[in-house]
Amino acid sequence: MRTTLLLFTSVVLLAGLAGCGRNRDAETQGPTIALVVKTLNNPFFMDMQRGAEESANRLGVNLIVQAADREVDVERQMQIIENLIQRKVDALCVTPSGTTEIVPAILKANQSGIPVLIVDTRADVEALEKAGGKTATFIGSDNYEGGKIAGAFMVELLGGAGKVAILEGIPGHETGDSRLKGFHESISVAPGIEVVASQTANWERGQGFNVFQNILEANPDIDGLFAANDLMALGAMEAISAAGKTGQIIVVSFDALDEAREAVEKGLMAGTVAQYPKEMGRIAIEYAFKVLQGETIPEYLPVKIELVKKEN
Amino acid sequence: MKRREFIIHYGRQFGTLLGLIGLCVVLWILTPHFLTVSNLLNVAQQTSINAIIAVGLTFVIITAGIDLSVGSILAFSGVVLASVLRAGCPIALAMLVGLAVGMMCGLLNGVLISFGRIPPFISTLGMMSVARGSALLYTSGRPISGFSENFRFLATGKILFIPAPVVIMLAVYLIAYFVLNRTKFGRYTYAIGGNEEAAILSGINVKLYKTMVYGICGMLSALGAIILTARLNSAQPIAGMMYELDAIAATVIGGTSLMGGQGSVIGTLIGAFIMGVLRNGLNLLGVSSFFQQVVIGSVIIVAVLMDMALKKQRD
Amino acid sequence: MRDVRKTFPGVLALDDVCLELRKGEVHILLGENGAGKSTLMKILSGAYQKNDGQIFLDGAEIEIRNPRHARDLGIGIIYQEFILVPYLKVGENIFLGHEPYLLPGIIDQKRMLQAAQVILDDLGVEIDVRTKVVDLGVGEQQLVEVAKALSIETKILIMDEPTSALTEQEIDVLFAAIGKLKAKGVSIIYISHRMDELFTIGDRVTVLRDGRFVGTHEVNEISRAELIREMVGRELNEQFPKQKAVVGEELLRVEGLSTRGMVSDVSFSLRRGEVLGISGLLGSGRTELASALFGAGKIDSGSIFVRGRHCHIRSPRAAIDLGLGYLTEDRKSRGLILDLSVKDNICLPSVNRFSRFGIMQADREEEAAGRYRRELRIKTPSLNQKVVYLSGGNQQKVILGKWLCLEAEILIFDEPTRGIDVGAKVEIYQLINQLAARGAGIIMISSELPEILGMSDRILVMSRGKIVGEFSSAEATQEKILHCALGEN
Repeated sequence: MRTTLLLFTSVVLLAGLAGCGRNRDAETQGPTIALVVKTLNNPFFMDMQRGAEESANRLGVNLIVQAADREVDVERQMQIIENLIQRKVDALCVTPSGTTEIVPAILKANQSGIPVLIVDTRADVEALEKAGGKTATFIGSDNYEGGKIAGAFMVELLGGAGKVAILEGIPGHETGDSRLKGFHESISVAPGIEVVASQTANWERGQGFNVFQNILEANPDIDGLFAANDLMALGAMEAISAAGKTGQIIVVSFDALDEAREAVEKGLMAGTVAQYPKEMGRIAIEYAFKVLQGETIPEYLPVKIELVKKEN
Repeated sequence: MKRREFIIHYGRQFGTLLGLIGLCVVLWILTPHFLTVSNLLNVAQQTSINAIIAVGLTFVIITAGIDLSVGSILAFSGVVLASVLRAGCPIALAMLVGLAVGMMCGLLNGVLISFGRIPPFISTLGMMSVARGSALLYTSGRPISGFSENFRFLATGKILFIPAPVVIMLAVYLIAYFVLNRTKFGRYTYAIGGNEEAAILSGINVKLYKTMVYGICGMLSALGAIILTARLNSAQPIAGMMYELDAIAATVIGGTSLMGGQGSVIGTLIGAFIMGVLRNGLNLLGVSSFFQQVVIGSVIIVAVLMDMALKKQRD
Repeated sequence: MRDVRKTFPGVLALDDVCLELRKGEVHILLGENGAGKSTLMKILSGAYQKNDGQIFLDGAEIEIRNPRHARDLGIGIIYQEFILVPYLKVGENIFLGHEPYLLPGIIDQKRMLQAAQVILDDLGVEIDVRTKVVDLGVGEQQLVEVAKALSIETKILIMDEPTSALTEQEIDVLFAAIGKLKAKGVSIIYISHRMDELFTIGDRVTVLRDGRFVGTHEVNEISRAELIREMVGRELNEQFPKQKAVVGEELLRVEGLSTRGMVSDVSFSLRRGEVLGISGLLGSGRTELASALFGAGKIDSGSIFVRGRHCHIRSPRAAIDLGLGYLTEDRKSRGLILDLSVKDNICLPSVNRFSRFGIMQADREEEAAGRYRRELRIKTPSLNQKVVYLSGGNQQKVILGKWLCLEAEILIFDEPTRGIDVGAKVEIYQLINQLAARGAGIIMISSELPEILGMSDRILVMSRGKIVGEFSSAEATQEKILHCALGEN
């Protein structure tokens, strides 16, 4: 009986690991580069993965893409990085789940002599310097700049006056914080614009719906909504449509996911600031490869950022 | 007959251990990076936090209870600890404050369960939300980061060549093993889970001991928070989400019965390592994170199936 | 007249029992606790399978495969404990499991409630079928059970002590309903302890004893005294090695003890070296009295004196500290921790004496457990064996060891030999003798009259929460005790 059970267990485990053997067969002679993103349940990071795969195929790089199950799980991301260090990957590209929390992981990579390229979300520069860690480069959009673009667009559409609500990302995330900062910077020029609510929906679509429904309940006369990412904006738009206010509220958000682009095309959404995650992924692997070839690369590789609106 | 007795008494732990060893062998064959000293220490270090929390849950589950609030208690005691540290409090005192916060949350769980007669599932579900909310309120949702090297030694330091969290984990297990097997408290823990009615009629103050068990569970969550905070150099109010499920999984894989009365910390340690090794191995092999979830879920189910089969054999 | 005849030879709990049931009669089944009444009924209702013998229904031999099959054959049963779903309506309960359907899977609520109301009206019961069962009194619930049994075509209705929880008024309503059923030709097997009921509603009576058939009589042709003699009917033999111990000073005195509902105004005393037997039927409040004495049940009024001192026993711990020990009626659910070892169970209440600063001293534990293992002759391969693997008699000895280890002086044995084989029984009796000889006071609660008579120095009889009789061992007989317990004087 016991033997049967053990056999059963082993079979399950072996079956589980069988898939891995295949991956190893596919390995080529090129360097191994790992891309660790925040999560793979988000289209943004899936696009990034696609861009990275394109580069990897072109350059003959073995690419490993890994992520925690949940975007906020900084500890798990650290474990993944530690394990990849054990696996002796040649270079690491990381989108940090936590800006300061990533620092110890970067230090570990430094100690093992593995170059680290930060993608999309900056690591906390101050903390990194203090700890004596270093990164090869930052590849990403200027979120602050993007926030400013969104803010200016909102001011333009509202004609300089109106009530605005904001859906924030998870507090403490560099990307979200920068976008908000940029947005506030732009709307400060128009004193007629009043921010009536600013709450977090933790980057999630479902929460975007709930939180914005509550905001609408409290402030039925809202004119505009700025969401720090598309998922939250798409959730909020469901709430708007549920309240029968479609078309009455100007929605501006970030990321330009396919679904958001469609909404813009249909006129449901005023605009979304486009980032190019696929581009980020492509550049990240390309420059990681360059680092491994011994080339020097600039410490900031900006990826274009632009507003997607109907006229485009 | 000999063989039967052996299976009855040690079959479960033995089976789990064999499973762990088998897993290691498979990984050793599949990747050269697995069986190295540095990777094994790496795995031990990564397992330590879950393993420590799982000790608390083992105590709770032996009393036929459950604690869903460990992850939230970890977050709350973590941010309190971090704020106290940032305020310049000595490390030892700050740690005591953190442990006390965790313990208070746990004791509150225990009081609600023992004296308020609220089922453990419900009261700890409530605490899960209360502690999480408190952590978010306390920090306005922002992480608290930047601590002294001395504090960070708890995660980054090495004693001889063993990482500090692993040393802490081993110490916790030694103490827990001793408490469960050699002390009055441990004896009562098993007795309460085995048959609460009989325990009461044997003159055991069941309410008091149950409360203490939840207090210990909360305190061990706080110990997990100390290591996590030192490790990340940051305490997040959203830390530890779903940790309760990992800890319950480790406990169950380790053979502690959710019906209470049976279980061992050694089993839990092995269970925690099975999860840690699996995650590590799947990362080393570059397996997709989606697939990892499938594998870990399957292992939990297989472990419970094994339990059922052993029980059948016993009866 | 269609006859139903059943024979069950060779069954463990039943030996060659015959029962003949006529159409439209109320047939009383009488016997002591454990006489085999419930086993017989469970076989009839399909809960148990007979090992041998034959059952005939309407002259044709039948096999009753399971409860569902029994119901299809027209045999309904009402158990002592209700099996109604508290938060469903009366009508829904009555048709639970065979609801009328509007479409497959969709219940025809209206038709169901109407039909339920008709059944209740026919019984002459005034209950609205829309009421939730939880809002009904116990008596009304009993009537709903009857209605439920009648919601299918019922030829035979079995009622197991239906009046044990009812008030006089509720009993009258139930009896009226039984009368109506009889008139419709339903045959009823009625299990009861109560003599007065028997003569009110019974047509015939069958007496069982020790799983054997004793006799069937027309109710109006037999006297109470004869029935009691048939129920008892056996000789005391050498099973009971009673040794008189020297009776010393008073250990325990109880004055006017009452607990909510179950025990009222009980007073007695217990001396060193004395075995005080408490007899009474199930539900007479014996176990509740024991629980209350041990601090496990709430005491509403009354005083307890231990060794002459007035004591408040609020928890089992307090009772243990006063030197009380309680061997519960239900060993597995209240007495033992099955997953712990023999040693751990023995030492559990006295852990404080084997630990220093909370740390167990394994050698001292082992020595003590080993001592009681020898003294009580507990048969176990090792002290570390889990008690779940021990036989009933040895489990009982482990519990006894647990209290001896505490040096308890006042021991309450609740059904000490239930489910234990004859050899082990004698050993337990010998241990009781030894304990009494050492100066302990023993309260022995038992349903087995021979045991009570054979082992007690003094006997109290309880009925409906009160002490209704006290006998010395010299004057007590089974007949006297049974008269008392059944409420006859």
